[in-house]
Amino acid sequence: MQRSLKHIRLLATLLIALVLGLGSASTALAVQPGGITDEAHEMHDLFLIMLYFSIALFVIIASVLVYALIRYRRKNDELPKQVHGSNRIEILWTGIPIIIVIVLFTLSLITLASVEKKAEQNALTIEVTGFQYQWKFVYDLNDLGEGEFAEDGYITIIGTPANEPELVLPVDEVVEFNLKSTDVIHSFYVRDFLYKLDLIPGRINQFSVTPRETGVFRAQCAELCGVNHSLMRFTVRIVEREEFDIWIRETVKHLQQDQDNKKTVRVNEGKK
Amino acid sequence: MDWLTTVDHKKLGILYLWFTLFFFAVGGILAILVRTQLAVGENTFLANDAYNQIFTMHASAMLFLFIIPIWAGFGNYFVPLQIGALDMAFPRINALSFWMLPPAGLLMFAGFLVDGGAAAGGWTAYSPLSRQAGMGMDLWIMAVLLLGMSSTIGAANFLVTMFRMRAPGMTMFRMPIFTWTMLVTALLQLLATPVLAAALAMLFIDRNYGGAFFDPNGGGNVVLWQNVFWFYSHPAVYIMILPGMGIISEILPVFSRKPLFGYKAFVFATMGIGALGFSVWAHHMFTTGAVLLPFFGIMTFMIGVPTGVKIFNWLGTLWGGSISFKAPMLFALGFVSMFLIGGLNGTFSAAVPVDFALHDTYFVVAHIHYVLFGGSVFAVFAGMYYWFPKIWGRKLDERLGQLHFVFMFIGFNLAFFPMHLLGLDGMPRRIATYANESGWEPLNILSTVGAYIIAIGMIPFIINLVLAFRRPPDQPNDPWEGNTLEWATTSPPPVHNFDSIPPVKSERPLFDARQENTNMENH
Repeated sequence: MQRSLKHIRLLATLLIALVLGLGSASTALAVQPGGITDEAHEMHDLFLIMLYFSIALFVIIASVLVYALIRYRRKNDELPKQVHGSNRIEILWTGIPIIIVIVLFTLSLITLASVEKKAEQNALTIEVTGFQYQWKFVYDLNDLGEGEFAEDGYITIIGTPANEPELVLPVDEVVEFNLKSTDVIHSFYVRDFLYKLDLIPGRINQFSVTPRETGVFRAQCAELCGVNHSLMRFTVRIVEREEFDIWIRETVKHLQQDQDNKKTVRVNEGKK
Repeated sequence: MDWLTTVDHKKLGILYLWFTLFFFAVGGILAILVRTQLAVGENTFLANDAYNQIFTMHASAMLFLFIIPIWAGFGNYFVPLQIGALDMAFPRINALSFWMLPPAGLLMFAGFLVDGGAAAGGWTAYSPLSRQAGMGMDLWIMAVLLLGMSSTIGAANFLVTMFRMRAPGMTMFRMPIFTWTMLVTALLQLLATPVLAAALAMLFIDRNYGGAFFDPNGGGNVVLWQNVFWFYSHPAVYIMILPGMGIISEILPVFSRKPLFGYKAFVFATMGIGALGFSVWAHHMFTTGAVLLPFFGIMTFMIGVPTGVKIFNWLGTLWGGSISFKAPMLFALGFVSMFLIGGLNGTFSAAVPVDFALHDTYFVVAHIHYVLFGGSVFAVFAGMYYWFPKIWGRKLDERLGQLHFVFMFIGFNLAFFPMHLLGLDGMPRRIATYANESGWEPLNILSTVGAYIIAIGMIPFIINLVLAFRRPPDQPNDPWEGNTLEWATTSPPPVHNFDSIPPVKSERPLFDARQENTNMENH
């Protein structure tokens, strides 16, 4: 009697752990931000499909496990029926997962093709260089997308760990990024883009996004790059087009006051 | 003295076990330091540099000095016993395999004493970061090379033993599942480890002799390192988990009193995982922009299929059984449930666009720990409780075992489940600290508490070991009603292993022998 009580208590513990696990698993739904770009929205949808599949599979399999543990716990010394297997069942539980993974793979392929689409020729293009241990963002004044600017030149923003740089983007426009590194591998990761891409010495990686929300978003390097890897943070500020144009004009004016050189360098004053 | 010169597979197996458990403790202490640092935002408990060394050495110790060699330890002890052999095929080479480990461990940890400290580039040692590092990196490279050599010759030894030294009647398809998983593991080691050795040699040349294999300025390619490294290290993940699956597949049938459901399907699924394991390496590189995404995506999804088959076969084994919840079984069931999560959360990264968000975040840290801790480490303890009576002739206490399990199960989930959520919330892995504004602190505190609970859970295990060794050996040949040949001999077995071997007519020779005895008694 006492023995079986102990088993039941143990099983109850397992059950509770299961419920707790499930509870926390479903909070994951709320945790991944839905993203702020067209591409992120698509990737988030795919994530949710994966999540629902996983939770469903987990619930089914874990329930079978818990049920089996309670139902088939040892009650006497009788030897249970010695079942060695069943080819039919093996084929079934090989076949069904194959179908599931092919479906999921196809869905992922569709999303991939869509988010990897190349930006149009005249999109706003920003060159991002990672270095130990900060970021350099370069805007080409001839390459500002929908805005027009009369002069040639560049705006260069170089961050330091103490003065984290800010990347300013216009909302509702395609932005293309060219990623480079001069020392080790870094990774450009903006949580709310639901995206990251590595900056690799010796190659240029490109991607483009279309932000749909204004606001300030935190971001940081996602590939271990040395001692101060954790300090390679920056922020992304997404603003309306008019505000973006004003920002460009003011920044350029500010720079021209400092120096005549067309190729201008400006160290960001840090977070606003 | 005898222990230093022994070529007996059982003694070498015991040496492996103690050596690897020692590094499990070392790696565990490093993990506690990591979790202490991350408990709160902007923490200054560890400097950035120290943090990078400590998490790198945590992973290196756990993977290279604990998990991979502990399977060689269990394998050393039990493969010859399970197939009814006298010893391994090459006992001296076997001793050599073991004795490469202590110098490797010393070399790797000597990094803490040299200028610049221990390796700090993560266990993945990505170039160019690993080209910049100090001398600790060279020590690390040499240590991993030594360990690689040890596991390569060990693998050859296991394969020859299994192919040539099986007892009469022990056909390949009657070999115990643990032995089968060791076979596939040995194949993976034999095929993949030399690639790692080549990669390490290239890195060493780049660092010390002006080579440019991974330097674009000299005509090299940065991403090449990742390709060769993961060509080994992805199969290595299966090297780290397959023998654990084998142990679970020994324990579930014994404590359900049924044969393993779908023995052959299980063997083929193991081979399937081994084969597919060579075609998925670049799923670690989806965000490099330098790999063929759809190919590695589909292969990674596909590897979920044989993995699923294994889980279903374990459920099929439990179904209709007569299940008793002894300590080995508790850990085995812990394995099944945690590995289920580790399998499911792994498929997220197979969906390339989802991986763009999850890669290099704490979600991935959660995944590997659900596989390697919830999976492999639970299997290690399942194996310890299960085979302890055979190796040392004494039984570990059930009550302390249950306590150990409960602490580990709760601590484990508390430590690692929140990491999923942290990763989804954008916390990158391998950061020494995080901003207070990030909002990551509450979940990190939870995770750190979990890590401490795991550490506390080791206390009943250690007490259990001490108490067991203070008792005289009293265990019969077969305390659990086992199925496989190791239970046919005394506990512990004599130097020559068997006085007589029962006839082998199925994959469960001992079950057959017990049935025959009851039949004879009934007549």
